[in-house]
Amino acid sequence: MKQLPEDLVSIRLTVNGVVRSLDVHPGETLLEVLRGRLRLTGTKRGCEVGECGACTVVLDGRAVNSCLVLAVQADGAEVLTVEGLAREGALHPLQRAFLEHGAVQCGFCTPGMLMSAHALLAQDPSPTPDAVRRAIAGNLCRCTGYQAIVDAVLAAAGEANSS
Amino acid sequence: MTAPRFARPRTLDEALALLAADPEGWTPVHGGTDLLVRMRMGMAAPRGLLDLTGIPGFGDIRVEDGQVVIGAGATHAALAADERVRTHAPALARAAGLIGSPAIRNRGTLGGNLANASPAADTVPPLFVVGAEVALRGPDGVRWVPIEDFASGPGRTVRGATDLVVAVRFPAQGREVRSAFERLGTRKALAISKVSVAVAARVEADGTLREVRVALGAVAPTVIRARETEGVLEGAVWGGEVARAACDAVRREARPITDLRAGEAYRREMCGVLLERAVATIVDGSRS
Ligand SMILES: Cc1cc2nc3c(=O)[nH]c(=O)nc-3n(C[C@H](O)[C@H](O)[C@H](O)COP(=O)(O)OP(=O)(O)OC[C@H]3O[C@@H](n4cnc5c(N)ncnc54)[C@H](O)[C@@H]3O)c2cc1C
Ligand code: FES
Ligand code: FES
Repeated sequence: MKQLPEDLVSIRLTVNGVVRSLDVHPGETLLEVLRGRLRLTGTKRGCEVGECGACTVVLDGRAVNSCLVLAVQADGAEVLTVEGLAREGALHPLQRAFLEHGAVQCGFCTPGMLMSAHALLAQDPSPTPDAVRRAIAGNLCRCTGYQAIVDAVLAAAGEANSS
Repeated sequence: MTAPRFARPRTLDEALALLAADPEGWTPVHGGTDLLVRMRMGMAAPRGLLDLTGIPGFGDIRVEDGQVVIGAGATHAALAADERVRTHAPALARAAGLIGSPAIRNRGTLGGNLANASPAADTVPPLFVVGAEVALRGPDGVRWVPIEDFASGPGRTVRGATDLVVAVRFPAQGREVRSAFERLGTRKALAISKVSVAVAARVEADGTLREVRVALGAVAPTVIRARETEGVLEGAVWGGEVARAACDAVRREARPITDLRAGEAYRREMCGVLLERAVATIVDGSRS
């Protein structure tokens, strides 16, 4: 971290496996940097006060609200966003399960849901339905009624465990 | 948001030195889950952000000299999962595990919850009943303040402008003294408490309650002790008449207001309900 003229700060982030160096304002959020500077617009901007989960990303292995993390605080960290889930054009098993179970309707909550689910499965590969519900408790969905999302996460976990 | 200056000290000494040199110029930030919301809403406009996330060990939890000592940087997720906290202060582990959402608990810290001094801060009633102290460190060293003296009003604490909250400690009382926490929000996740109740007590073999402490959140300008209720429960066996008298007492002692989250009468009533649940948890736990 280096302080530059006009109060810009140099930071280095690893985003979806790629090292990115950039100069940011101290007040800028990780969400603003991901969307505005890195053009990674999969991460959604909802409430910007921690209440909807649309902006959820995985920061050093943990789900966080990127609207409540200063970009400067993420200096040196690893960030995983929804764009980092698919590999060589193939959807991540969680993404496939969301499609198969009708867990995506308007899709606005989906990236945040996927990242909360991803962080859960990394820590707890065989979660109970209740653990899935708790993991996505900070992610609002106004379309699906949640059950399809819970089913999708459980199916993705089951698939990973049987393969 | 505007562009304040920024520092991410690597040691506590460095952070304290920056703060001492220009107390008005720096606002500490840790998880940012209160401060960034306030900035977004135009309720805070820091001139400088003093980021505490770069200080190694600032969130460490240890047991030494019969005390559990928790670094101010411990996240709610860490508190909820920690075996020592779960053993010696189950009410605190439970409260931490109910805060916000997983993402909020992954960032929000104990120090931030205390410094922010909301009357509804969920870690505070548990800290009241386990007899916690808060360590403030400034240029002249560390002073330990009893948790009951720490907040002086909504959003106000006894923290000086050159102090940082650095730790919290309470006796490692094992399972001898049990504690429980109950809260009520609009829903389970992402809801600020309308009312919260923490209770600690030792339960004797015949069920007699000793060393009873009761604290109430969100029903007064700061978290408060419910001493009349404690008096009813002290030396008594939980049940029937005692339960009724205790619930009456706690409803009298609460000093709630009506705001957008709940009405005064409802809050008062719920103090009784949550007290019953919390004491029942302690008594049931002592039998298992
Ligand atoms: C969606 C949402 C839900 C929430 N739900 C709950 C809930 O259920 N229960 C609850 O109690 N709270 C809740 N909160 C509030 C918040 O998450 C907690 O108060 C949290 O503990 C704050 O910690 P932080 O590290 O994020 O603080 P910050 O936002 O980093 O700081 C908060 C304040 O404390 C000061 N500060 C921080 N650390 C220190 C320190 N070590 N020394 C001195 N000053 C310091 C800062 O200057 C600032 O004024 C919620 C917040 C959000 C956004
Ligand atoms: S945009 Fe971050 S939680 Fe709503
Ligand atoms: S699919 Fe529309 S908000 Fe969840």
